[in-house]
Amino acid sequence: MQKHAEKWTKKHILDIASLSREEIEIVLSLATSFKEISERDVKKVPALRGKTIVNLFFENSTRTRTSFELAAKRISADVVNFSSSSSSLTKGETIVDTIKTLEAYHPDIMVIRINSSAALYCLKKFTQASIVNAGDGKHEHPTQALLDMFTVKEIKTTLEGLNVLIVGDILHSRVARSNIFGFQKFGSSVTVCAPPTLLPFNYGQSGAILTSDLDQVLPKADVIIMLRIQKERQGGLFLPTIREYVRDFAMTEERFSKLKKDCLILHPGPINWDVEIVSSLKHKVHPRILQQAENGLAVRMATLYLVGTKQK
Amino acid sequence: MQAKTRTLIKNITIVNPKESLLADILIEGDTIKQVSKNIQEKADIVIEGEGKHAFPGFVDLHVHLRIPGREDEEDIRSGSAAAVKGGFSDICCMPNTEPAIDNEGLVSWIIEEGKKVNLLDVHPIAAITKDRKGCELTEFGALKAAGCCALSDDGSSVADSLLFRRALEYATMHQMLIISHCEDSRLAANGSMRESYVSSKYGIGAIADISESLAVFRDIEIAKFVKARIHLAHISSFKSLEIIRNAKAQGVKVTAETCPHYFALTVEDVEASEFDANFKVNPPLGEKEDLLAVCRALKDGTIDCISTDHAPHSCSEKELPFENVPFGFIGLELSFSLSYTFLVKTKILTLNQLVEKMSYRPAEIIGLKNRGMIKKGFIANIVVADLNKKWQVTKESIVSKSKNTPFLGRTLTGLIETNISKGRQVYSL
Repeated sequence: MQKHAEKWTKKHILDIASLSREEIEIVLSLATSFKEISERDVKKVPALRGKTIVNLFFENSTRTRTSFELAAKRISADVVNFSSSSSSLTKGETIVDTIKTLEAYHPDIMVIRINSSAALYCLKKFTQASIVNAGDGKHEHPTQALLDMFTVKEIKTTLEGLNVLIVGDILHSRVARSNIFGFQKFGSSVTVCAPPTLLPFNYGQSGAILTSDLDQVLPKADVIIMLRIQKERQGGLFLPTIREYVRDFAMTEERFSKLKKDCLILHPGPINWDVEIVSSLKHKVHPRILQQAENGLAVRMATLYLVGTKQK
Repeated sequence: MQAKTRTLIKNITIVNPKESLLADILIEGDTIKQVSKNIQEKADIVIEGEGKHAFPGFVDLHVHLRIPGREDEEDIRSGSAAAVKGGFSDICCMPNTEPAIDNEGLVSWIIEEGKKVNLLDVHPIAAITKDRKGCELTEFGALKAAGCCALSDDGSSVADSLLFRRALEYATMHQMLIISHCEDSRLAANGSMRESYVSSKYGIGAIADISESLAVFRDIEIAKFVKARIHLAHISSFKSLEIIRNAKAQGVKVTAETCPHYFALTVEDVEASEFDANFKVNPPLGEKEDLLAVCRALKDGTIDCISTDHAPHSCSEKELPFENVPFGFIGLELSFSLSYTFLVKTKILTLNQLVEKMSYRPAEIIGLKNRGMIKKGFIANIVVADLNKKWQVTKESIVSKSKNTPFLGRTLTGLIETNISKGRQVYSL
């Protein structure tokens, strides 16, 4: 653990785009050590004893927040949750006021989720604490990508030379944006597949291959990340109907039969069964998706530890 | 009767739209009495101009003075002070205020307030539609009689094409100028920056460039159809400029303005700033291709003039994350130095062309007489600047009530030392 922390220089984890391959490897390697802790009878180490972490969620979340909270507790940090979907704003207090108020308590780390893209580059100016991005608007969700990469590495033993396929609402997905940069840093090829209305403008520059033809790209994939489709995207601007989406983009039995035998299917959750993946495949894909959740805890312990022990 | 004050500026390089000359300028009262070498007449005030340049006072067609309604962000006094520091002698203020400037009372009130401060001439622009709601026309005739210089619903387009046609048609009767904010708001989709790879990479809500160019095309087609004049505000994109250039070649009575940020900044600067709220403006900063097109259009005359779109916002409004802040930033105090630094030093425009864009043409577009040149008989609006001086933009250097500008920390070339408005020295360094 010590040697990992010595190599780590970043104060914040705001995005995957600006992390180097070596930095990602530090997180993943450390997460391997931390994963073992959660399998013990006494699931706690004193790694961040005496440090204070604020989980600041300006947007609803139970899964990510719970994962961060447990991660903090397992490395002995003191953790408080501040959830405020919109309440502080409706009272007239701004997000910045909230950060300034919490800053008065001298936290060491703020884990922030917010619905405004790229907001953390602004908010970091108002605190001395390290910030870990738990999802900022449509921008990035770095710990989700780190846990996806961790899971892929655990199962495939490598992150190099893979064909990674991301299917679904790329336009609105912070998970996609983080994964696209993450996997490419290891020399894997990333293909994103969505209807043209849900692909970002001029996105070829990201290095990802863009397509709307799932059936054509499926057979080559080593890893498929199925993104959650928001029900409110249907009806008008982005999708005619969910039924129409399922027709072209869902993982069906038929599509499943065309995959490579060892193709790994991941999903950041929560899954809309029979929308992204048909429920008859549940027994085949769900175990891996639950493994992702387990790994999320280890990866978050690692990120909190690294930013929390970085010499200030 | 009290004798008129006489001011003599000696040995200064006088920059006019068509030529420059080294001479003296004699001002008597509010008028330029004589421009020639070695003026020997006595004067009350003598300004030594050696090594300096004299420009006709600048005219800004696009200022948000925030009165009435947001006097916490700017008011007539701070706005006027910022304007004269920036070398302006005439500014036009937009009606997207609270309440909107859509009646004679408010138009007269703003003119009166401007006179009370008495630093420069403030010309209100009145709304095209009542309360800027885009539903019913305002009383153009009465507004003109009260002294408004043009009509605009700036801040938004008049979305209803039929109503906009009627506005342009009706305005011809009073020889009034309609200034259009060109934006298809539906296509702009509540975005925060130009749709580009940068917006895609960061997932920032994006505004496609066609939201401007489509509106430009519509507005020009309507103006052409009803044979009306139209002035297009804050043009930012390559596509819009192609359409305007084409229309001008066909003889459509269209004029256009751009703002310094469109020839100084791009989406790359937004990213490099880490989405600093001070870089959020509408229309949004474009791509390199757009910046180059703006420069080319200034050079070939497709763009007639440079305005500021001076848009003050309070610090608490602008400290929020990028997607949560309002559009716009201040520009009055920086416009000349930015234009000199980014257009003249780079040899895109000559000093004479710059004067045409900042003084002569904007005065002509809103019909201000005897302005825009340093010439015998013209109004004595004269700016003295030292073009060798470099200065750094700091919050402390800004006199506007609001300090929001993406140019904070930048070093610019060309410093205004003196501003003479109607013969009176209203600013000196």
